[in-house]
Amino acid sequence: MIRPFSIVSVDKLTKVYGGRAAIDAVSFTITKGEVVGFVGLNGAGKSTTINSLLGFLRPSSGVIELFGKRVLPENAHNSHKKLGFASGDMSLFTNLTGKQYFDFVAHRYHLKNMSKCNDLVTRFEPDLDKKIGTLSRGNKQKIALIAAFMASPELVILDEPSSGLDPLMQQLFIELIRSEREAGTTIFMSSHYLNEVIDVCSRILLIRDGKLIKDIPSAELMNDGGKLVHITTHHEILPPKDAKDIEKNQIEGGFELTFTYKATAAKLQQWLGGVTQLIDLTISDHTIEAAFDDLYELETGEVNHA
Amino acid sequence: MRNLFMKTLYDKRVFIIGWGLGLAFVGYLMTIFYPAFHQDNGLDQLIKSLPPALQGLVGNLDNLKELSTYLGSQLFNVRIPIFLSVLTILLAVGLTVGEEEKGQIRILAGLPLSRRSIVLSKWLAIVFICVVASLMTIAGILVGLAVIKETLDTMVLVRLGSLMTLLSIALATIIFGVGLATGKKGLTTAVGVLVAVGSFLLTTFASAVSWLVPYEKLSILHYFPAPDIAKGTVDGMNIIVYAAITVIFLALAFILFRRRDLRG
Repeated sequence: MIRPFSIVSVDKLTKVYGGRAAIDAVSFTITKGEVVGFVGLNGAGKSTTINSLLGFLRPSSGVIELFGKRVLPENAHNSHKKLGFASGDMSLFTNLTGKQYFDFVAHRYHLKNMSKCNDLVTRFEPDLDKKIGTLSRGNKQKIALIAAFMASPELVILDEPSSGLDPLMQQLFIELIRSEREAGTTIFMSSHYLNEVIDVCSRILLIRDGKLIKDIPSAELMNDGGKLVHITTHHEILPPKDAKDIEKNQIEGGFELTFTYKATAAKLQQWLGGVTQLIDLTISDHTIEAAFDDLYELETGEVNHA
Repeated sequence: MRNLFMKTLYDKRVFIIGWGLGLAFVGYLMTIFYPAFHQDNGLDQLIKSLPPALQGLVGNLDNLKELSTYLGSQLFNVRIPIFLSVLTILLAVGLTVGEEEKGQIRILAGLPLSRRSIVLSKWLAIVFICVVASLMTIAGILVGLAVIKETLDTMVLVRLGSLMTLLSIALATIIFGVGLATGKKGLTTAVGVLVAVGSFLLTTFASAVSWLVPYEKLSILHYFPAPDIAKGTVDGMNIIVYAAITVIFLALAFILFRRRDLRG
């Protein structure tokens, strides 16, 4: 179903390589101002989807629309006037300096005002005077990110955008996405860093084996973590009814029980009230990564710990 | 760096300067060797003693007597095709599948730049570099002429330079077209080597190997009879053939590159 005001509309997108579907009937829409995360394991189909959106690949079947117009390799440049793109492993023009690269990109967008570019340069402090080919991966990544945002595009597509950045720069990147979100920019980004996606995205699309298996608000995933309970008792006890990922161990002088718990805190309290001969008890937040794995398990019947 | 054409020339500036100076040096050297070829009758005897197949590599002896035909035969008919083959293969492979392999074509295609513009800008850069290569060869010859104090009808150099330019553009466009149409580096390089080396061997040995004669027209060098061009004979059909080859392979690049998946 294509929403009338969507910036990105993907309907039953399929790309087949050598008889195998890299992505299979993927459908989603992104409306103006949304920041959508695209998450999946390596080879799940994230890059194939993004490359199709950008017109680098011709879909085997299905329809992609950007800004209400169908995108195919031969006309993708029309949508690129309102679109910025960066990827973590982007091979920039190695013979140019950062300054020359920005100049080249600015001319493609007919950009007269370079104030945003200058702001981003001040923020990320890339080395602009050396040839890009001689720069570190992090510096190249900064240049790619600045180029993606410098023309103030309506839509920015990012493929593993912060993979080359150090922690400080990752934080700057997250701040950039937040400020762009406030400015109304629509962003579609894939990432290996689930915390980053949870932090800045309003929605998360989960892809596995080329199929889109979940489209959820990121808050749902954040709340979905539940609690990790670790309890040590003198006698063996049974876990509560709603416990998951149960692990039992016999130790010297007692028994250890570990499980994740997503039911209400009151129910957990009630169960704990029935536990006797308690030695030790730890209750902590279940990690987002674990929640993500749970989601994978839920949707596919498998657990993957990336 | 306002457009892709200028960016391509900037990227290739060392290549252009290197090849330009190299070809100028070849033109200069071959020109200053002319007095030795012209005066040394012993050389005639030496060449006549060679097997016919090897004589094809050396050229027609009669052509050594005049400066114009000497240059046509020894420089433009034998050596220039070898240099042009290497130049065009390196240039066209580098600008097409070489850049695609590095992911740089994707960067261009990710900008508001149509695939048609990418093809056209890169092809125009190739044309420019081929023109520079020819002009530098001619410049080297002119310097050589000044050194040996010889003169040559300007039109001889204009004709040879023009056909050399058309040959190099046609050869480069074949490789360029295959590269952009398929995106396959192995195939593109193989086609380039096959056309260049195959043409050179076919044209060189056709005079000695009778069964090759029917296939001689398949050689791209067949349409660049430099000694005849030096004498003043320019067959319009040769120009048409080079123009047709260029148009066909450029059209191939335009049509197929627009529609296909990008690698890298």
